[in-house]
Amino acid sequence: MATDDLTQMSDGALVMAIARWGQGALSEAYRRHGGAVFGLAQRLLADRVLAEEVLQEVFLRLWNQPERFDPERGTLRSYLLAQTHGRSVDLVRSETARRRREERDAEVSPEPDYDLEREVQDLMVGEQVRAALAELSDGERRAIELAYFGGHSYREVAVILGEPEGTVKSRIRLGLRRLRDSLMRAGLVGS
Amino acid sequence: MMSRRHAEVEELLGVFSLDAVDGHEHEWIEGHLRICASCRREVDQHREVAALLVTSHATPPGGVWERIEGGLYEPPPPLALGPVPRSLRRKRPSLLALTLAAAAAMVIGVVGVRDVMQERRLERIQASLLDELPHRAALAALGNPQARIVELRGTDPAAKARVAVLPGGQGYAVIEGLPPLPPGQTYQLWAFIEGQRISGGTLGTQPLVAAFHITGAVGGFAITEETAGGVVTSTNQPVVIGFFREA
Repeated sequence: MATDDLTQMSDGALVMAIARWGQGALSEAYRRHGGAVFGLAQRLLADRVLAEEVLQEVFLRLWNQPERFDPERGTLRSYLLAQTHGRSVDLVRSETARRRREERDAEVSPEPDYDLEREVQDLMVGEQVRAALAELSDGERRAIELAYFGGHSYREVAVILGEPEGTVKSRIRLGLRRLRDSLMRAGLVGS
Repeated sequence: MMSRRHAEVEELLGVFSLDAVDGHEHEWIEGHLRICASCRREVDQHREVAALLVTSHATPPGGVWERIEGGLYEPPPPLALGPVPRSLRRKRPSLLALTLAAAAAMVIGVVGVRDVMQERRLERIQASLLDELPHRAALAALGNPQARIVELRGTDPAAKARVAVLPGGQGYAVIEGLPPLPPGQTYQLWAFIEGQRISGGTLGTQPLVAAFHITGAVGGFAITEETAGGVVTSTNQPVVIGFFREA
């Protein structure tokens, strides 16, 4: 299949081509999303070698189980990043990774310092996402930072923030809904 | 009871979407999501938002794509086709035998049979028209958690098929890499049911997607090359073959 055809393909068509053992299609998916997958894994794991393993695992899983992606449920990007995040969090919470992370946190600062805005660097989309984040309360934004980019469970987030677990659960759920509403108004997500 | 349970799950959907729940809660919520479309939709929406937070990304280091490429093709399983029972062997099936066999065999409707001249045009159509019924239905079947799925392989690594069988007996085969056959020949699908190889119908000279319906406990599938019109029984070596691996 011609490279030009692949670059124009929708997510669903691309995965259909992968399902038919199209290596070029997998390469195109890697070109589109490999950077984001690696960046998220590296951010969570703080370990380049482990991040490379997660990157490899995510795309091999896409090759071997393309049927797990349902275009009706979201974009290929959100599917791959959800896979990446889940796998990375599993590794983060392993004993070895926890020790390494504690050592890293102890060296860098007395408290976890996850700045969500550092993650948002893409120019156009970044501006809109930054604006959406600015609409959240500090509590909502901090809870999402610690859970998503810190790899912490909501119970851990509650301990870190000194808040009840129920409050953390509510803030994260409400914060994600408010982000979605803002991003819908900006045209970044569908209704 | 169901409402209270649902409300308890709803409280956790935000943290679940960010992988911020512990093991036993994760399993509990996953079980609920299998039966609750509204909660699944909310989780999908939260994950879409989370993905947008990842707008910066690092360039993947060199060598990773090569490792991925190296892991794409595993050696095919050895062909282990058992002999067709003597009672089913016939050299030249009579018209009566074909009629009786057709009545006793599975009913298969073949869609998507194309000849070589149309292959490229149809690949483009297939790639762009995901809602084309058989292809979308096949993809949906492959993604159905209740489907039994088996991969068929052969000695040629390029030839392969994925077959999904749904609980009601509806099945789909997505086929790739079978070399086009000359006029006068056809590919034929077979199902292994209780130790016997039962014809599933002819697939044409270069099949891509096939839909079929079966009854009985299927252990696996195979595709063979046959003379045009197909045969009642075959002792030909399969081009591709695979067996369900039950957990």
